[in-house]
Amino acid sequence: MSKVRRLTKVRTLEILRLIMIVVVVFVALFPIIWVLLASFKSPGDLMRVPPVVFFQPTLSNYSDVASENFLFYFKNSLIVAISSVALSIMVGVPAAFGLSRFSIKGKEGIMLFVLSVRFMPYIIFALPLFFIMSRLGVIGTYGGLIFVYIIISLPLIIWLMKAFFDSVPYSVDEAAALDGASQFRIFWQIVLPCSLPGLATVTILSLIFAWNEYLFALILSGRDAQTLTVGLTRFLGGMETAVRWGMLSAWSITIITPVVLMALLVNRQLRKGFTGMVED
Amino acid sequence: MRFSRKIEWQKASIYIVPSLIILFIIAIYPMLYAIWTGFWDSHLHRPEVRSFAGLENYIKLFLDHRFLSSLGITFLFTLISVASTMILGFLLALLFEKPFKGKNTALALLTIPMVMAPVVSALIWKVFLLEPDVGIVNWFLSLFGIRGPYWISTTPWALISVIIVNIWFMTPFVMLIMEAALSVLSKEPIEAAMIDGAGYWKRVWYIIIPSLKGKILFTLIFRITIDYRMFDIVYTMTRGGPAFDTEMLSVWVYSVALRTFQMGYANAGAVVMMIIIGVTCLLIILPIIRKKGELA
Repeated sequence: MSKVRRLTKVRTLEILRLIMIVVVVFVALFPIIWVLLASFKSPGDLMRVPPVVFFQPTLSNYSDVASENFLFYFKNSLIVAISSVALSIMVGVPAAFGLSRFSIKGKEGIMLFVLSVRFMPYIIFALPLFFIMSRLGVIGTYGGLIFVYIIISLPLIIWLMKAFFDSVPYSVDEAAALDGASQFRIFWQIVLPCSLPGLATVTILSLIFAWNEYLFALILSGRDAQTLTVGLTRFLGGMETAVRWGMLSAWSITIITPVVLMALLVNRQLRKGFTGMVED
Repeated sequence: MRFSRKIEWQKASIYIVPSLIILFIIAIYPMLYAIWTGFWDSHLHRPEVRSFAGLENYIKLFLDHRFLSSLGITFLFTLISVASTMILGFLLALLFEKPFKGKNTALALLTIPMVMAPVVSALIWKVFLLEPDVGIVNWFLSLFGIRGPYWISTTPWALISVIIVNIWFMTPFVMLIMEAALSVLSKEPIEAAMIDGAGYWKRVWYIIIPSLKGKILFTLIFRITIDYRMFDIVYTMTRGGPAFDTEMLSVWVYSVALRTFQMGYANAGAVVMMIIIGVTCLLIILPIIRKKGELA
């Protein structure tokens, strides 16, 4: 009798747990679903109270977005994000290898320094960079913004790739060294290929952060290199302009679509990256 | 050790030095520049007419009501949102711990809020959810006969709004980290405690949490530093308003520098901001490092 009762208790708890999980996922996704719906609504449907879930969908918000120079911002975001991540990988991955494979003096110091760059308030870099870049005349150029964005991805790449390299056993290096492989060949043809999944994770993570960046873009992108995030906030409305609801929803959806797709496609790697970010 | 450390450095430098040079140019140099500028009285658009101010900017900071309240708001925001995300994230990780059908899909869906640009999340909440008249939150509240407040534009709701959005944004992050940590936790001590008759929450408190201590501390540092420098969400939602109610330190520095053009003063504020977070992190990290040193 009591066994049966305990079993039903366990079962109720399990059902309760599943319900809670569904609620959690719903709360996490609801704002996004709601905006996705809004992006297909006509101006009348957008303002309706109570809010409508079923309506005549329209694509007019998306064509509005296209006519508001969307491609210009999209292109800027793409160029800046991809180039800065590529550059960071080019210098950061060898650095991670060096920090993983050589027993050098001051290694802990360097790692701590790299980590502290990532945790600093970015505004402390942003203001002086504004000054320095104005003087050099590179405000609003791709080159300037790309170079600055390295600040976001480089520490992340060094830190995470070092952990991935550390997990490739030293015996692999030693065997290759016995066969006469140079240090660089060991890096390029043996250790790096073993860490390719790690490199993919790091690349995705860096691309996401660069794509989403706002503070540096706001201060340093001038007029010619404005990114999507900066472009989006133009429609928020101000003293004399109204909020442009339809435009905002469609623009938001188009910004997040590439990132969300990427995140879902390689979700396992992404999660590994996120958890790796707080690896000690 | 087969090689002397000097030779190791020679061989390693070709790998490491390029990164260090770049970090010097984009991080160290600007930081030194900020510290230097903090001692000057200089205007954004007329950098050539500046005068040495010594510690004047710093003295002014600690008499400046707006700066002090910004400091307070930043502490409050960081404290509440770090505490809530850590607790909520941990509880959710426990909720997701045991396998169930669709667990992987659920976890995948939960990564969506955190890969979105904070600017976009902030905007979605501001315009589509918390809008007082047509936003869905106030409509939902009205179903229960509650008249929802003017979220973004009144005290204290503006600060509450940005904290809510930040919690929504950051909880999945903590949850994923804790979930991953739980899944690799050794089961034996937990089972042993179970046999000894320890209840679920007792096991969580006395066994699971202590064995995740390192992970929790690192997550904590991560969360503190991210919230402390928060700019995107707050600036997009409130621009620091109403009045200066949600003006966190990053927003303060930004406005002082680029709205009132007091470059030296803004940089002095940024330096104070940096010192506070640096000391905080050191205080948290030092005990860990010391402990590791003992173990080694």
